[in-house]
Amino acid sequence: MAKLLDKQRYKCALGAMQTVQAIERALPILHSGPGCAQKLSESVGSSGYFSPNIFPCTSINEKDVVFGGVKKLNSTIENALKVIDADLYVVLTGCIPEIVGDDSGEVVSRYEDADKPVIYAPTAGFKGNNYKGHEQIINAIVDQYLEKSDTKQKGLVNIWADVPYQDLFWLGNLRELEKLVSELGLTPNTIFGYRRGIENIKKIPKAEFNLLVSPWVGLSCVKKMERKFGTPYLHYPTLPIGATETSKFLREVGRFAGVDDAKVEALIKEHEDYYYYLIERYADLFLENRVINKQFSVVADAQYALGITKFLANDLGLIPAKQFIVDDTPANYRDKIEEEFKKLNYGVEASVSFETDGYRIHEEIRNHDYHGYPLVLGGYYEKEVTEQLKGNFLNVAYPVQDKVVLDDSYVGYTGGIRLIEDIYTVAVSRFN
Amino acid sequence: MSYKIAIGSSDGIHVDLKFGEVENFLIYEVSEETELVEKRKVLPGDEDADGAKNPDCASGCGAGSGCGGHGNGCAGSGDVTQRVALIEDCRCIVCKKVGFMAQKQFEKRAISVFDVDCTVGEALEKITAYYKKMDSRGGYYRRDRA
Repeated sequence: MAKLLDKQRYKCALGAMQTVQAIERALPILHSGPGCAQKLSESVGSSGYFSPNIFPCTSINEKDVVFGGVKKLNSTIENALKVIDADLYVVLTGCIPEIVGDDSGEVVSRYEDADKPVIYAPTAGFKGNNYKGHEQIINAIVDQYLEKSDTKQKGLVNIWADVPYQDLFWLGNLRELEKLVSELGLTPNTIFGYRRGIENIKKIPKAEFNLLVSPWVGLSCVKKMERKFGTPYLHYPTLPIGATETSKFLREVGRFAGVDDAKVEALIKEHEDYYYYLIERYADLFLENRVINKQFSVVADAQYALGITKFLANDLGLIPAKQFIVDDTPANYRDKIEEEFKKLNYGVEASVSFETDGYRIHEEIRNHDYHGYPLVLGGYYEKEVTEQLKGNFLNVAYPVQDKVVLDDSYVGYTGGIRLIEDIYTVAVSRFN
Repeated sequence: MSYKIAIGSSDGIHVDLKFGEVENFLIYEVSEETELVEKRKVLPGDEDADGAKNPDCASGCGAGSGCGGHGNGCAGSGDVTQRVALIEDCRCIVCKKVGFMAQKQFEKRAISVFDVDCTVGEALEKITAYYKKMDSRGGYYRRDRA
């Protein structure tokens, strides 16, 4: 029988048009029905030079199902090249043309000699969600646009993190990761956001190594780059939030890049001193045991579930209840991610559930004994259930409805402080 | 279950007529086999004298004298409606081009429009294969359910 999914937290792979949009002056060309693009567009900082309403779309209909939509795709690409000034054109295919069997790759190959690069990513919904779609886009860039570089630029590091727009903090998080890496004396290279774009894409093959900060998203991409460009990669599964994880992160990246230990330690000391100065000033608040909840649950994609759990357990000393990963993590990555949840300080372990169904998650939250009011960090869907339990709720993951994020970030030492501010703002406001 | 397909073709080989240009719709009936069962004549009284041949009208909707005429919308609607009504027992219509208004009229009657440039044979082959798949899955689109 068909299964209904309650409160799903991701979109279909075509949602990766947002990944393309995050690349400055890159334009998605959609080979899909008109409804697909309409449903996938959101107003979460997605207006600008290109916004979903102007993405060229073949708007295929019944006729194209019967007779094929190749002609329409060809004319759409041809005209997009004429009327829209972009640096990179990425054709994304939806379910319909892929089921019907349109050879979109062949159509795109006709534009090999165009003035601007045109590439193609198969992002049919049945191939996975927008986390997988995001990987498809990066893989398409690596496969179809980039060539192996004979020279490597010393100290250049490509940084890859989670999915733009799906993660509302994507811009701030990437910038903070860049900042940390550059403080180690390395040169960060990212392709998403303000003034990155095509020039940074061209630098990808020249990097000394790829740094992937994500439990699983993008792993297939860095592996591909290792094969094609011979670029080694460092897979750091935990999004570093707060002092404990960020210091670990700096040490591991420093070691991998061959940065002098003393330099790394000096950098860590400088950051930690300030971090703990802030913590110390508010120690009375943190130690007041009525303010904050005893146990917490995170309901988010793998990156935030893992990153925030480690932060709350290691830095704030809270006890994890069950954690929920809602991004439909592919089965082959799950064991490793579960292992990560066992590596918490003080011998604490967190149990984790890979669950995409909101109803079941809420039932589990309702039935768990949080030894008081729960602290729930999750999507907006968790607001109601947390309120019913009189708990504290913070909206950190998709869908984000009660927070506007321009370039805020939860990454690094400063990100940890931001998250403490946000959590304690919620916690103290219940007493006012 | 059988159904009918209306095709606009001057020679029976190519789908070469716009919807408004058709004088005789070729009506094919599809059951086990596909066969031409009728040439359905569009009665001359159905249109204005300058009808589909109006040189100013590039849309090919065949709406007679009037896109936007007489200050109250497309004056050709009456003619289009009559043309559409003539073949409303068909499941779909295949022409080189079908104007916007006619498409809307067909849509209202749940008749599919295929404006394609190919041979009659190819069109029939693809469309019948498509409907066969749809019908074999017992989907919502079966006409006998309507």
